[in-house]
Amino acid sequence: MADDELSRNEHIKDASNFLRGTLAEGLQDEITGAITEDDQQLVKFHGMYLQDDRDLRPERGRKKMEKAFAFMIRVRIPGGVLTPQQWLALDQVARDYGNGTMRLTTRQTVQLHGIIKSNLKSTLKEIDTVLLNTIAACGDVNRNVMCNPNPFQSRAHAAAQDLAKAVSDHLLPQTPAYREIWLDGERVAGGEAEVEEPIYGKTYLPRKFKVVVAVPPSNDVDIFAHDLGFIAILDDKGEVAGWNVTVGGGMGMTHGETDTYPRTADVMGYSSTKDAVAIAEAVVTVQRDWGDRKSRKHARLKYTIEDRGLDAFRSEVERRSGVALAPAKPYTFTSTGDRYGWTQGDDGRGHLTLFIQNGRIHDIPGAAQQTVLRNIAQAHDGDIRITPNQNLIIANVPTEKQWEIEALARAAGMLAPWSGLRRNSMACVALPTCGLALAESERYLPDLMTALDERLAAHGLSADDIVIRMTGCPNGCARPYLAEIGLVGKGPGRYNLYLGAAFDGSRLSKLYAEDLEHDGIVGALDPIFGAYAAERERGERFGDFTIRAGFVAKTGNGADFHANVGRKASHVAAE
Amino acid sequence: MSSGFGTIPKTAPFSEEDVDLLNRVVGPATPVQRAWLSGFLAGVESVTGGAAAAAQPAAPARPAEPLTIIFASESGNSEKLAGDVAKASRKLGFKPAVVDMADLDLATLKTAKRLVVIAATWGEGEPPGRATRVYKELMGEGAPRLDGVEYGVLALGDTAYAEFCAIGKAIDERLAALGAKRVVDRVDCDLDFAEPAGEWIGNALKALAPPDAGRGQGNGQVIAVDFGGKPAGSPNTDVVEAEVTEHVNLNSSRSNKETVHLALSFDGAAPAYNPGDSLDLYPQNDPAYVDDLLKISGLSGDEALRNDLLTARDVTTLSAKTVETYAASTGDQSVKKLIAGAGVRDWIAGRQLIDLLAAFPTTIDAGKLRALTRPLAPRAYSIASARSEVGDEAHLLISAVRYDSHGRARKGVASNYVAERLKKGDRVRVKLKPNKHFALPAPDKDIIMVGPGTGVAPFRAFVQERRATEATGKSWLFFGDRTFTHDFLYQLDWQDALKDGVLTRMDVAFSRDRPEKVYVQHKIWERRRELVEWLDNGALFYVCGDAKSMAKDVHATLTRAYADVKDLTPEAAEQAVATLDREKRYLQDVY
Ligand code: SRM
Ligand SMILES: Cc1cc2nc3c(=O)[nH]c(=O)nc-3n(C[C@H](O)[C@H](O)[C@H](O)COP(=O)(O)OP(=O)(O)OC[C@H]3O[C@@H](n4cnc5c(N)ncnc54)[C@H](O)[C@@H]3O)c2cc1C
Ligand SMILES: Cc1cc2nc3c(=O)[nH]c(=O)nc-3n(C[C@H](O)[C@H](O)[C@H](O)COP(=O)(O)O)c2cc1C
Ligand code: SF4
Repeated sequence: MADDELSRNEHIKDASNFLRGTLAEGLQDEITGAITEDDQQLVKFHGMYLQDDRDLRPERGRKKMEKAFAFMIRVRIPGGVLTPQQWLALDQVARDYGNGTMRLTTRQTVQLHGIIKSNLKSTLKEIDTVLLNTIAACGDVNRNVMCNPNPFQSRAHAAAQDLAKAVSDHLLPQTPAYREIWLDGERVAGGEAEVEEPIYGKTYLPRKFKVVVAVPPSNDVDIFAHDLGFIAILDDKGEVAGWNVTVGGGMGMTHGETDTYPRTADVMGYSSTKDAVAIAEAVVTVQRDWGDRKSRKHARLKYTIEDRGLDAFRSEVERRSGVALAPAKPYTFTSTGDRYGWTQGDDGRGHLTLFIQNGRIHDIPGAAQQTVLRNIAQAHDGDIRITPNQNLIIANVPTEKQWEIEALARAAGMLAPWSGLRRNSMACVALPTCGLALAESERYLPDLMTALDERLAAHGLSADDIVIRMTGCPNGCARPYLAEIGLVGKGPGRYNLYLGAAFDGSRLSKLYAEDLEHDGIVGALDPIFGAYAAERERGERFGDFTIRAGFVAKTGNGADFHANVGRKASHVAAE
Repeated sequence: MSSGFGTIPKTAPFSEEDVDLLNRVVGPATPVQRAWLSGFLAGVESVTGGAAAAAQPAAPARPAEPLTIIFASESGNSEKLAGDVAKASRKLGFKPAVVDMADLDLATLKTAKRLVVIAATWGEGEPPGRATRVYKELMGEGAPRLDGVEYGVLALGDTAYAEFCAIGKAIDERLAALGAKRVVDRVDCDLDFAEPAGEWIGNALKALAPPDAGRGQGNGQVIAVDFGGKPAGSPNTDVVEAEVTEHVNLNSSRSNKETVHLALSFDGAAPAYNPGDSLDLYPQNDPAYVDDLLKISGLSGDEALRNDLLTARDVTTLSAKTVETYAASTGDQSVKKLIAGAGVRDWIAGRQLIDLLAAFPTTIDAGKLRALTRPLAPRAYSIASARSEVGDEAHLLISAVRYDSHGRARKGVASNYVAERLKKGDRVRVKLKPNKHFALPAPDKDIIMVGPGTGVAPFRAFVQERRATEATGKSWLFFGDRTFTHDFLYQLDWQDALKDGVLTRMDVAFSRDRPEKVYVQHKIWERRRELVEWLDNGALFYVCGDAKSMAKDVHATLTRAYADVKDLTPEAAEQAVATLDREKRYLQDVY
């Protein structure tokens, strides 16, 4: 395709000399906290975003100061598994160089916010000492590989974690730019050579790329939301026999642009464990070559598959990998949520899942969570795992230690008896750090939750598991379109309400009402809660109910997401 | 008209015609006219200064007595008084030579027969910055004997400081120790020095005057001539009113500091200030504090007193002197004990007048309370703008002084008057305080500016001026504060200056951005090679801001830098920096 048609980012990548750009020079300039616009795109590949504190924007100019720039850094943690030492190191840099808090993400990593430019290198060096880094945590490459983190099915889980790690390592960018720029590593001679990126090439992928590994019956990784997924197929001994391969999932869309839409991934076939990595590489290279490099809004794998069709895509993957995929095997998912409290592994070790509201780890009055987790990490010799729901698992705790750790967690309110709704809630970061936020999310959901809990209690639904997720914009970082109740920011204090997604994460939701403010949201949901309490069938999930009861239409796939939206007349009549 | 007496001799430094002309006037003149003339001429010289001083002063037929007047000054008070001494001395037939201690060549001192020293104390009992080098020499073994020298010392200071007039005292004793003869007792002046200083000058000149002084001048009388204000060319240093046109706290709302950028506009032209000058700002006291003070003294409701205390009296400073006055006026036994116990010095540390009245309550009347206070002195603030860029405005950068001591939250009087009570549109009284010792060099000279915190204020003026004058010299600014994000004062201004090249480079040090503290001196050390190179190429080195630690640390670091870069012994490095000082290339305005 002609160069001028390529999106701006393609030119930046091309000219970047394998992601170096002018980052090293930019770090020298101490008078601004920012870096050049091109470097802002490149630094993402190194796991960082330049942001500014949006709360402070109004006052900065008056005070003769530039925007309150600072970086967000995102660590790459395949499967979300950390050693206690790694946890302690992240906790330390968060307090030494960041805004003091840690943020567990919806993709099992940790984000640190508020790191000013002059502290970036120190921060990354500290992190490097515990063998962690932020390479490819963002950018047009394979991102952090997710994996079901709850090792209670120990053997199957071990295999899943191994695959996640193997794929993550195999798809890692090879450029030494990260080591050069952030860790003062030697500039390797011939740094220009193409061989630096055997899989990606010098312009990497058209867009971000996300891989997950699921272990049924849990779909906590939300397998249908990602570009590439592996579903563990267990034999009767509970060992992994092989993997169903999914492709073409994604959440992001843009308000008012119906050619952008969330999409649930298709199951492409079945692969043995030994071929899995080859399949992953082939999927990546096909997307590298077939993906749309002109429009970034149309560049994700989900659109490639919509445009080319699944069959064409499958055969190209098979051709490149030399692997013939078998027909997909049956599997069952039951839920996308986490199992709170203790689970005991086949190996007798215990795993304690803690609720962390919206993944934000900080000391708040009455709940010194960050301090308590620090103490736990110091006392703990198993590992610490981040769940895909922004929660935390203190994993592999020997029986004799279990009561001590539980007592610590309980004291910090991380085992509180939350409502079924709150236990299944997620919110993206949004304001004040996210540059794309149209509305509050993380800072607002807890209050909304309290109002909704009060309505649920009135209808006797406090104990029922209902999945609710909020994002500050339609990009979908908390996977709101796969939540039974999805709230997506439209503007300050205004949200679109989505209903009807499946509890097990297999079906997208449908737009129910637009531009609702706080009271509008509560007012819209209250009667539906009432109807659910009164009319639901045995074991019927809230999402399924809203469709059967006719509140919203059922969403098929792809562009159908935007079809016949809104309140359904049928039910309004029935009311 | 009495015979030839008083006619101009042919030997006078005038042409024949002039002598005749003058004789036609002076000859028949009445004693009053002659007295007036001599006063006139004396006045003219004291104004036109050096040049005239070189020429023969007024009237006296016999050669005038040389008088050396040395001043050690930071903010100009001593310097001004030195000028007054010269003026008055001429009228008494002296031939005064006014010398800044900074420029004094000690060796010449022994030749001075009559000597007046006016010295201020700075820092915590230290000499004014410029005078430090010579002061050290004077105190050291190298100092010459001064037998036969007659002298008097006038000390300037502030009773608020523990080391009240320490430098004046030290010089006074040192001169005596070196064999000089004290002919007039030292007087230690507080901030309101005008009266005591004027009196002392009178006495000093009498004591120093030669036995026959005064004769030969129109019957010994001199009529002081009022020249109607300042000589032409010198800027207006009267108290003027200004309106606050901008009042912004430059620290972010997340900062725990408050530094106010204050823009003042004047009715008509702004005082003719230059970059490096300061403004004296006349504050008012905190009404809450004054009301507490009145309550404690049982004087609430006395509006007249309240008003006086609010606007005109220093009601916060507590000095040993105050405690004594209080003891005397109240006869309070426990206060007497406190003084007797010699613990006063420690007791007043960190305390204010209100603490004294609270700790030793007695009934006291308005007069006695007032007697415990001194006049409310103005506070100096470096001007942060250049007229060449802001026209008839002046900008100040004022940091709110707040701290706790002895269980009380304390607020600096002037800085909080500005930060908490002064609003846009309000009027405030200010007075120009020129500082010719902290001025920009020729436009082609390179400058290095070290100004952390509010110390950066004059350098904003420097940069504005250099932009307006399209200066060709390079400029380098070192700035520091607590945090990059919330305390980077004038960040956008510096970014512009760097973009348009007025600033060649800038280094910043923020002390609370990371676990280890970084200050400007650390940056200076990091950049020592380039820095010494700049200085070798003739750059001037300016330091402004905190005197207690910053200025000292910077000086020490620069010395170490010389030692390291040029691989000199510590002594040699000291010398290198001393040379900068002597060449007036190490300039400080610290407080
Ligand atoms: C931290 C996190 C949300 C959270 O609360 O946990 C997050 C935060 C951000 N996402 Fe996201 N995304 C996060 C998971 C997701 C997910 C969920 C997932 O992948 O399971 C999605 C939807 C799935 C998908 O990719 O379709 C997601 C879709 C986006 C998009 C839309 C992408 C698209 O192709 O449509 C953007 C905007 C973009 O890429 O242009 C985005 C961009 C962003 C940025 C970096 C905003 C930006 O580009 O300037 C947000 C940083 C906010 C901040 O201040 O921290 N984020 N983002 C999640 C970090 C994941 C990780 O650790 O790697
Ligand atoms: C030439 C010159 C230029 C100056 N330029 C500036 C400028 O540009 N900007 C600026 O902000 N200031 C500047 N200053 C300082 C300014 O003049 C005042 O000294 C300062 O604002 C404090 O005045 P204040 O009336 O608020 O405090 P005051 O009421 O005078 O109180 C100050 C006194 O409080 C006591 N104190 C202060 N802090 C503590 C503490 N932590 N613990 C115990 N006691 C304490 C000390 O005795 C101190 O002398 C300059 C000073 C000079 C001499
Ligand atoms: C920062 C600062 C420190 C001072 N330290 C002292 C001191 O330690 N002892 C003292 O008696 N006076 C001290 N003073 C008061 C000055 O000596 C007084 O203002 C004097 O009039 C200044 O004279 P000058 O203008 O000639 O420098 C200090 C003044 C300032 C601004
Ligand atoms: S969903 Fe939007 S607002 Fe929320 S974090 Fe992602 S990009 Fe920001």
